[in-house]
Amino acid sequence: MPSAVVITGMGLVSALGDRPSALHEALLGGGTAFGPSALIAEQAGSYRVAEIRDFAPRTYLGPRNLRPLDRTGQLAAAAAELALADSGWTIEARDARDVGLALGTTFCSVRTIGEFDRRAMRDGPEYASPIDFSNTVINAAAGQVAIWHHLRGVNSTISTGTASGLHALGYAAQMIRAGRATTLLAGGVEELCFESFLGFVRAGLVAAPGEGAVPRPFDTARDGCLLGEGAAFLVLESEDTARARGARVVGRIEGYGSGYDSRQATAHSEGENALAASIVRALGPSGPEGLAAVMSSASGHITLDAREAAGILEALGTRAAEVPVSTIKGHLGETQGAGGALATVVMLESLRTRRLPPIAGLEHPDPRVGLDLVIGRPRAIAASRALVTAVSREGNACALVISAADGADRRP
Amino acid sequence: MDPRSRVVVTGIGPVTSIGIGREAFWRSLLDGRSGIGPVESFDTRRYPVHLGGEVKAFEAPRFVTRQSPASMGRASQMAIAAARLALDDAGIDSGAIDPSRVGVAVGTTSGEPEWIERFNDRELAGERDLIGDEFLNRYPCHVLAAHVASELGFRGVNLVIPTACAAGNYAMAYGLDAIRLGEVDVMLAGGSDAFSRITYTGFARLGAIAPERVQPFDKHRKGMIPGEGAAVLVLESLDRALARGARIYAELAGYGLSCDASHMTAPQGDGAVRAMRAAMRDAGLAPHEISYISAHGTGTAANDRVETIAVKQAFGDAAARVPMSSIKSMLGHTMGAASAIEGAACALAVFDDRVPPTINLEEPDPDCDLDYVQGTSRALPVETAINNAYAFGGNNASVIFRKVRAERPGGR
Repeated sequence: MPSAVVITGMGLVSALGDRPSALHEALLGGGTAFGPSALIAEQAGSYRVAEIRDFAPRTYLGPRNLRPLDRTGQLAAAAAELALADSGWTIEARDARDVGLALGTTFCSVRTIGEFDRRAMRDGPEYASPIDFSNTVINAAAGQVAIWHHLRGVNSTISTGTASGLHALGYAAQMIRAGRATTLLAGGVEELCFESFLGFVRAGLVAAPGEGAVPRPFDTARDGCLLGEGAAFLVLESEDTARARGARVVGRIEGYGSGYDSRQATAHSEGENALAASIVRALGPSGPEGLAAVMSSASGHITLDAREAAGILEALGTRAAEVPVSTIKGHLGETQGAGGALATVVMLESLRTRRLPPIAGLEHPDPRVGLDLVIGRPRAIAASRALVTAVSREGNACALVISAADGADRRP
Repeated sequence: MDPRSRVVVTGIGPVTSIGIGREAFWRSLLDGRSGIGPVESFDTRRYPVHLGGEVKAFEAPRFVTRQSPASMGRASQMAIAAARLALDDAGIDSGAIDPSRVGVAVGTTSGEPEWIERFNDRELAGERDLIGDEFLNRYPCHVLAAHVASELGFRGVNLVIPTACAAGNYAMAYGLDAIRLGEVDVMLAGGSDAFSRITYTGFARLGAIAPERVQPFDKHRKGMIPGEGAAVLVLESLDRALARGARIYAELAGYGLSCDASHMTAPQGDGAVRAMRAAMRDAGLAPHEISYISAHGTGTAANDRVETIAVKQAFGDAAARVPMSSIKSMLGHTMGAASAIEGAACALAVFDDRVPPTINLEEPDPDCDLDYVQGTSRALPVETAINNAYAFGGNNASVIFRKVRAERPGGR
């Protein structure tokens, strides 16, 4: 029998707080995190970003030597610390039993990679930093988090662009379902940095700069995303393991599906929609019955928002009219590899409190979207199961179905 | 689908410095040919070392036909070539198979490093304005699997697992589970890495690059030599392979993954032991039932000594009797592609009852006292092979291949 997969902890660092409940509250109120950049002030200019201001890694990681961790590693280690603490997996327990890690990211730290190479090219290869070299691999954050938190089990990094974080959750759930592992920390991380920022701007993905600029997911006036950053992890366990250690269960992974559309089909929004098939697979035999809400990955991207909506609509069919759809990227910006994990945490909080945040920046819904978009104020939802979706502009599609544990809404 | 159903290798597509395609690759491996030569892809005059394992005979337009080869980086091009070679080898017509049931999992260390290097060249030359959309379109590592699937039209699960030098094994392991869980019927699993000045700079700075040749396990070994390449294996269920009369190279019998959680770059050994033991347990094999060990065998002082100790620990008395070779002696270290290429060699060893040699091994290190198949290939019954891979981040991955005999049960 495949193992049931439960969620026993969550942790995050975001531009709107480092507590799931606080982030959820901020989103309910329509709070957004956009402003001028302090991290990359010179390069960002009048472009606004959603960065974690005054990120203080020692708050989470204590007095140990932080030098081996770059910003990506620190964000990931901080969110991991919060998730592990929330789950009750103490360091002694982690030393006694293998806990694994599945970390989703697009770039890991392209800032570290870029800086390492620029220094070598500018000053000569003999001036390249050995400590930075170990962080130029794309699994560096996963390695650093494993060292910091004593995670000796499976150690995977998953890259599917803006779907990475959600894919990592699906990957981890499959590992547990297949009996490969009993406990994994799963989620994603992405830092804001000059290299990825310039890449997004030059690829035409960022909304026009200027004071008051915001991303407008699903809006007729949408013209791109604003970049954000963050990290989020959930502790996934086999139900048996969680029960045996008396863990508090906050939710479940009910299903997962993923697929792919070609880059060409995605760019031109044509052909079959892999997200629709992924959602159908994730929903399983009961289909959209009892589905309380959808948390999409819409960011304000002109074609991708519409394509994601079309996938959701196709999969839910006539039930789509009854299922409210939201996104966190109107508040937090495009957090890339962290996005799917942050969205999952927010969805769990929404199920727990039965309130789904509205889509920030959305005023005039694109009539072609055809979904029940949450505009202006929070929406009351049933405390049952919910769908989280993520797509990438390169064609990746991913769907995860979660539910809140019975009684989770009574949690203090 | 049965979670314990058997998964087999039916197609092998290597793109290496000593041969492109299965036959050329295997012949060169058995002949002990070296693919090491002067680095041509960038100027090494400022480096103390000048050799690398580049795939100089690679011609992308032969393989990249549905997309523009110039629209993507070299690692994508090589991954596409490896995928096409593997499909041809398997006798699978990509146009005559349900595309939604074929997945792609690619491992890599660096993705497409050439595109951050070009970004940096512009930046250092004061030409930031000339950086266009090519960086975001071509650099992020998940484009590797995206380009493969876009080229071949495959719409099943699609992801990149960038777990550095163990990535190929991670991808094959994922493929095994994805087929068993019924996610897909066929998985293209492998790894790809292009020659990179960032990687070269880093290993040169660590003093880890040998000046002339790679001599795994030799007393006078002077380090590794960076290389490049790709390999993709076609994985499918045994039942499916038998039903279509496919040539079966080997069964993918099991795997083990672990993390040292101790140091980013220095191998510790205990994690390697745990990965080997987990793989043998998963495959239901005892150490004395392993016929061949494909060593990680980079040729560095630390790796070869620690790996030898780890094999002795994992295999006990059987260690001295199991031949173990490192094909990195011929190819150099092809990074994320390495364990996929070595997996191809393992499948061929199991199929052909011959094992490739460790070349350049003249005077074994007293600390390295196992049977390293010194100098020339060897014919022996190869019932099983274990493929070891270790990576930055403390990642360890071992995958086991097992012979499939026609008379074995499974449909015939």
